[in-house]
Amino acid sequence: MNRIILHLDFNSYFASVEQQANPFLRGLPIAVAGKGRHSIDVAMAHRGSKSIAIDQLQFQRSVVTTASREAKKRGVKTAMGTWQARKVCPEMLVIPGDPQKYGDVTARFMKILRKYGDAVQQFSTDEAFADVTCASGGDYMGAVILAQQIRADIAEECGEYCTVSIGIASNKFLAKLASESKKPNGLTCVQPHEAEDFVLTRPLADFCGIGHRIEKHLEKLGATSVATLRRLPLPLLLSEFKSYGYFIYNAARGLGSDELLPDEDPKSVGNSYTFPHDLKSSEEIYQNLLALADRVAWRMRKQNFVATHISGYIRYSDFGGYGFHRRCKDPLIDGLEIANTAWKVMEEKIDIAQGVRLIGISASGLLPIGGSNSLFEKDRRKARALQALDKVTDKYGSGAWQRAGTMKTSFKERVSGWHYDHES
Amino acid sequence: MHPLVMHEFMNDPIDVSVDFTGRRIRPKRVRWGTKVYDIEKVNLVHGAREGQKRIFYFSVSDTANFMKLRLDTETLEWRLVEVYAP
Repeated sequence: MNRIILHLDFNSYFASVEQQANPFLRGLPIAVAGKGRHSIDVAMAHRGSKSIAIDQLQFQRSVVTTASREAKKRGVKTAMGTWQARKVCPEMLVIPGDPQKYGDVTARFMKILRKYGDAVQQFSTDEAFADVTCASGGDYMGAVILAQQIRADIAEECGEYCTVSIGIASNKFLAKLASESKKPNGLTCVQPHEAEDFVLTRPLADFCGIGHRIEKHLEKLGATSVATLRRLPLPLLLSEFKSYGYFIYNAARGLGSDELLPDEDPKSVGNSYTFPHDLKSSEEIYQNLLALADRVAWRMRKQNFVATHISGYIRYSDFGGYGFHRRCKDPLIDGLEIANTAWKVMEEKIDIAQGVRLIGISASGLLPIGGSNSLFEKDRRKARALQALDKVTDKYGSGAWQRAGTMKTSFKERVSGWHYDHES
Repeated sequence: MHPLVMHEFMNDPIDVSVDFTGRRIRPKRVRWGTKVYDIEKVNLVHGAREGQKRIFYFSVSDTANFMKLRLDTETLEWRLVEVYAP
């Protein structure tokens, strides 16, 4: 039996949520900005002791995480620098992102999908697939009715301004392509017998999995449209793209996976941060590395893991940089251990004079936490201290404690990305 | 920034009158200093956690203003955290 897959994608997600919350923003070109120099962490501002006028914020090094429909019409694009977006659209309002708000709406969205779908796979903060083969009675008309019910529930739970585009098809690739084809608030149903013709009408740039680089590569091979792509033989695609050639070959024919992936244990836990100014001393770099490592360690312990591998990367102000990977002798559980392991590698290679723009650190090779069976009192004492600190964090939230060595660091919550910081 | 827009983040104590409907509460009137605002619409309610503490934010508006209200469910204290006036 062919499966029936729904793909749902919020339209201008963060901007629509802001326009839902504040009706005076509706119809206006607005951009939701990410963190950046002089931007603000909304959750912190709500607990702060002074008023902040938005027009005093400069949003330097900030990017547009979402533009409203009105801003998009005027040429503002996602990931544009806010200064550049303001050049394109001077009347645009820039709003600081509020991840807690978006996280709550995403949770409601996923709850609705789980109510209707046989299986659900979250694809990003504002996109998800739902397998509705059984729920729809295996019938496309049933799937369309279900999609309308889901849309009504989203309007009820998240607000009428938060609209979704929905694609219905027999696999995930096609369902996503269908939802992309009509925005905003579209509903596109592609039945199996229509799939090949439907794909022909879409530009290659709309294909999920064919990015700018692959598109350019295909162009060199003479494929500038789906029709010309179909003329490329499979062996050529395999020789040019290795096994990814299978995906490209199938995508051109509307074929793809219909399997929804369940939530799995993470393979790694990481954190990266772009700083509002370049870091130019080893003390400053180490302090921020330690603060990031503490975040990684806390998230790891919360999920009951220890790490056996540490990797990291540095990006300089000229966007050059380097990465490293280190296997650890003993499993790591503490932020200080993680930071020191990384620092041993970084210290030798880092070129401080270039100014560090971004630090990323990631723990992988995750193993379940065992008991603290160390023979040494020092290790057992450290384990007890970490448990106590984790209890404090659970009760009072992240930021409840901080190492003295990281007091000069502060991180604003990320607005974009797959996960919200406050949920980890 | 649009020259006529006032948009501010703050953390000011306020008094709020509410309606209880089932398990939901709906802000009806806000007293901020000497000013009183009658809420016309509750546009969005969202929750957040600060450790074990549950916080609710109400995005509300009257004919001329948008306000975001913060309710601390532990202390039952209301705060005005955002104001927008076009």
